[in-house]
Amino acid sequence: MINFSVGIFLATFIVAIFTTRFFRLIFWYGLNSFILGVLAILIGIEDADKALIVSGIITIVLKAFIIPYVLKFISKKFSIQRDIDPSVKVHFNIMLIPAIIVFTFYLTGPFTQMLGVHANFVAIAISALFLSLILMIEHSCVAPKIIGFLMMENSLFLLGVTSAGGMPMFIEIGMFFDLMMAIVIVNLLLKEEGIR
Amino acid sequence: MILYIFTILFLLFVSPLLLGIIKSVKMFLLYKKPVSIFQPYYQFSKLLIKESIISTESSHITRVAPYLVLSPLVVVLFFLPPIFSGAFYVGFVDAFTIIGLISLSTFFLMLLGLDSGNSFGGIGSSREAFISSLVEPAMVLTVFCIGLMAKDLGIANASINLSEHFPKEYMASYLFSGISFFILLLAENGRLPVDNPETHLELTMVHEAMILDLSGFYLLLIELASSVKFVIFSSMFVSLFMPFGLGFSPLIAFVIFIAKMVFVALLVALIEVNGAKLRLFKVPNLLGVSIVLAFLSLISFYVLGN
Repeated sequence: MINFSVGIFLATFIVAIFTTRFFRLIFWYGLNSFILGVLAILIGIEDADKALIVSGIITIVLKAFIIPYVLKFISKKFSIQRDIDPSVKVHFNIMLIPAIIVFTFYLTGPFTQMLGVHANFVAIAISALFLSLILMIEHSCVAPKIIGFLMMENSLFLLGVTSAGGMPMFIEIGMFFDLMMAIVIVNLLLKEEGIR
Repeated sequence: MILYIFTILFLLFVSPLLLGIIKSVKMFLLYKKPVSIFQPYYQFSKLLIKESIISTESSHITRVAPYLVLSPLVVVLFFLPPIFSGAFYVGFVDAFTIIGLISLSTFFLMLLGLDSGNSFGGIGSSREAFISSLVEPAMVLTVFCIGLMAKDLGIANASINLSEHFPKEYMASYLFSGISFFILLLAENGRLPVDNPETHLELTMVHEAMILDLSGFYLLLIELASSVKFVIFSSMFVSLFMPFGLGFSPLIAFVIFIAKMVFVALLVALIEVNGAKLRLFKVPNLLGVSIVLAFLSLISFYVLGN
């Protein structure tokens, strides 16, 4: 089941890179966060780690429902351009994505022996990091770049969960607050973008 | 052996029904009064009565090609995975043979389009060649991944191996190849994101453009071929990616199989209602996603498997 969720997690990243509509992109972000929360809860149940289960529930509530809703609301309010064409062509992406994933899988090969039970997922988390970097690079407007940033945060969360068995609860709650603040700042950015 | 022959006959006769289900579900979801799900049977019997007229411009290929479009697909029906446990199945045929036979049928369809002599046929053929050449690599990769997971390249053997012990450790890889195969199912059968089977608009049609000149019995053969193709793909999808229910007694296994086929038809209908047709030059993007996912399935097989 954990394996299956990791599969959906990576698949949503790939579909998000090929998306050309902003609301669809927000939907993929929400699905991605939802799967991430489910994954954290599953790993928490497996390791009997209550903190991980709590942060999984917070992830689902905050990232899968509140943040997409707020982003949708803001982008409607400031009438952001919702037609986002990636500047990297699809043909290059088709070659680039497998190349990046193979590269990261070989990159993480040496240190997977050092890590714990979920060592194989570290490769997935790092490749997700690179894929969100592509998502940020390939768009020229601000709104999809923000989604790329948020997805990068998701993959960092996965990296923390899989490599270190979850960060301390205190730090994770701090990160959630940072995320809320980031959304407030995004509000200002999108306002600028909408006026222009 | 009786179950084997029964399976083939059942798949042959149920094929128009699936298209009927898709059509009536679509009409229901669009708040229209839905047609009967047996509508394709009425249409086929109507075509059987009508006389078939062949254009004087066309050569003898038009007389031969409809049979050659249908016959490779009927041959493929014999190689499909069994739906009853313990039934006879053809084990020596691997997946690449099936892909080859399907492409043979597509080849004769394209020839038919070129032979008709009007400009639409040529357009349709070139588009079909364009799409099917992009489908091929993703199809081979997907089938190869499934073969790796099931430890056998033959479709029938693979499906039996999968139903006996399901590869839980390769779940991510399995998911990727499932999505990839579903996109190929939509693309090969000319369903909505790639080709709209209902319109006769000259800019968008692919499948309809090639068979514009045909009438009567020849049209019946081609329509039957396209419905058999849908049944082949959905049966392959059902037995490779939902491999459960084979172990029960024949009657229950049969009911489960029908339920799964109807589920695939409903899924296709839902996608068709919710999406718009892609521009022809955006089709490579969709198939590119499919190729990437198939490739990813191969990679994650090696990374997450051990």
